[in-house]
Amino acid sequence: MKPRVIGANVVVSLKSFYREKSAMFFTIAFPIILILVFGTIFMNQDNVRFPLYVQDLDHTSSSALLVKGLERNGTFRITQVDPALDARRYAKDNKVNLVLIIPKGYGWSLTQRVLLNSLDASVTFTYVYDPGSSSASTKMRLLKSAFAEMNQGMSGKPPFILSADTSILTKKYRFIEFFVPGVIAMSVMTASLSGAVTVNAELRQKGVIRKLSTTPITRTDWILSNLLYQFILAVISTMAMLLVSYAVFKVSLQINPWLFLFILLDVFAFGGIGMILTRVATDAESAAAAANAIMFPMMFLSGSFFPLEMMPGFLQTIARTLPLYYVNEGLRASMVAVDHMTALRYAAIIGMFAAVAFVLGILATKWEGGK
Amino acid sequence: MTNQAELAIEIEKLTKRYGALLAVNDISFTVRTGEVFAFLGPNGAGKTTTVEIIDTIRTPTSGKVRLLGMDVTKKKLDIVPRIGVLPQEFSSFDRITVRETVQYYSRLFSSRNTDVDGLIALVNLTEKATEQCKNLSGGLRQRLGIAVALVNDPEVVFLDEPTTGLDPRARREVWEVLVGLKKKGKTVFLTTHYMEEAELLADTVAIISKGRIIALGTPEELIAGNANYLVLTLKSVDGRSSEIVRRMGFAPSYDNNNMTVRVEHTDDVRKILNAVTDAGAAFLTLDVRKPNLEEVFLKLTGTALREDPAGGVVE
Repeated sequence: MKPRVIGANVVVSLKSFYREKSAMFFTIAFPIILILVFGTIFMNQDNVRFPLYVQDLDHTSSSALLVKGLERNGTFRITQVDPALDARRYAKDNKVNLVLIIPKGYGWSLTQRVLLNSLDASVTFTYVYDPGSSSASTKMRLLKSAFAEMNQGMSGKPPFILSADTSILTKKYRFIEFFVPGVIAMSVMTASLSGAVTVNAELRQKGVIRKLSTTPITRTDWILSNLLYQFILAVISTMAMLLVSYAVFKVSLQINPWLFLFILLDVFAFGGIGMILTRVATDAESAAAAANAIMFPMMFLSGSFFPLEMMPGFLQTIARTLPLYYVNEGLRASMVAVDHMTALRYAAIIGMFAAVAFVLGILATKWEGGK
Repeated sequence: MTNQAELAIEIEKLTKRYGALLAVNDISFTVRTGEVFAFLGPNGAGKTTTVEIIDTIRTPTSGKVRLLGMDVTKKKLDIVPRIGVLPQEFSSFDRITVRETVQYYSRLFSSRNTDVDGLIALVNLTEKATEQCKNLSGGLRQRLGIAVALVNDPEVVFLDEPTTGLDPRARREVWEVLVGLKKKGKTVFLTTHYMEEAELLADTVAIISKGRIIALGTPEELIAGNANYLVLTLKSVDGRSSEIVRRMGFAPSYDNNNMTVRVEHTDDVRKILNAVTDAGAAFLTLDVRKPNLEEVFLKLTGTALREDPAGGVVE
């Protein structure tokens, strides 16, 4: 291993990268845009307010109080619907997925029940809803549980079953804190995999590798230079992602040595796969296509963007066979939960994979023999 | 007989097969230290395969190849620092400048005292030193490739088709650089399919066709041995003259008002001129010249040099 030779290669690669603006965009700006977009969409997921359309046919001070109560609850943003309109027609015309109708006589029945304790007095609320909308059913569930609470309260007896929420995490984390480590793992994977493919297939096609084989640089030095360059790039891009995440979303993610270890293993694992692909594919284009065929399923199946628990069981099993899953989970263990034992376990698994991919990658890289 | 130390390259019964394809078929030759050796042949003759075996890019199927006294299949690491290679269609990192490219390769050789600007000046690229490689034309890129091949001050320089695909002006510019190398006393192994190039630069020429060397010697020897005749051309001549000359037993060709005829002796030139003048067929000028390597090649192979001969092997 010659540090001077490796240094010369890294300098050339970094200069090329800096001068190739589109590569810079895809490596650094793209993951940041992803974080900004998804982070904004899910920013207020915890205290989201659903729009709710209410048609108050009763129009008494009691019904007005009920509507105000629903609004103050914090779950709903209320829009009143003119009592003169047909609720079904209104919902259809205005693409409203749910209209809650408070019937005429609500105030009177309430008085009967509360003051006279008349058990015959009851009211029926009508839900005009679009069965195709999932948010309508969510809202209906929320409304029904709110009304159940009211019914229970009016019975005058304290509730029997109470609930207490305890998170398995030491602190509550937000979606963005789940998301950012996934984007880091994914973007380091794509950069290393396609980087290895580009370097090996494109330079081979252009004959640069053939020229290099007539210089004292060895195959191992060449590959180490490329992976070192990918690692530097990955660290720069990760720092940029974290800076934006801290500045815009005030995420609470911990940076510790695990982060750099997982980035390094990510680079070696997928750089190695890239080198193997280059050997199998006949030219630069088909190698790039093969790289995409590996990267896309990996991105969506390994839990980069959403928790695995949201997927069916057999997909979760598949996810556990994917190397990116261990980088995702390892990064989350170290950055979100700060659980060193779990991080170590994932690091060991992806580390073994990376070692095998790296060695196979070196063996697969054709050095002599020109084109 | 030359002694071993004076031989830069020794090839003995070299053969290279690609599956059923015989690219190089049992060739033997030597290259003396300090000479310019040209490997001349059409595309697909086996030139690149041979040069890439000698400069350690490929491995031979059988035969012995010694470079600077060392077996190329066993001593690659010792050989590489002492040679310089311009591969076919040299290409480098797109966004790296001319000066950075030369610096980069000099670092690969760990040569600390490479005169980067001197090399760039040698190949006349000083004005382009800060230009990125992707902006260089074919000729400029080849010249950069030559500069890169010299970063380690090599004893033997391999140039694989340095002027292929270049326009005539760019080709002449590369030749100027090669003449400079020759003056510096480097051993140069050149492959080309341009006759002029071999004639102009080479001390020794090997003509290769379909994987075999079919002629070897100085350009003069090859011409003397294989094309011992004169070429007489009469320009703007009357069409009747070809008929007259043909009746004298020669085989003239007539094209675009010019008549060209091969003759064995200077005597024949006089006879033809007399016969044409006697018949009253006027001509504007005449030209008598010795044949060139192009004609040697044509005679040896029966095919023109720049066409791919049928059944040629892939390089």
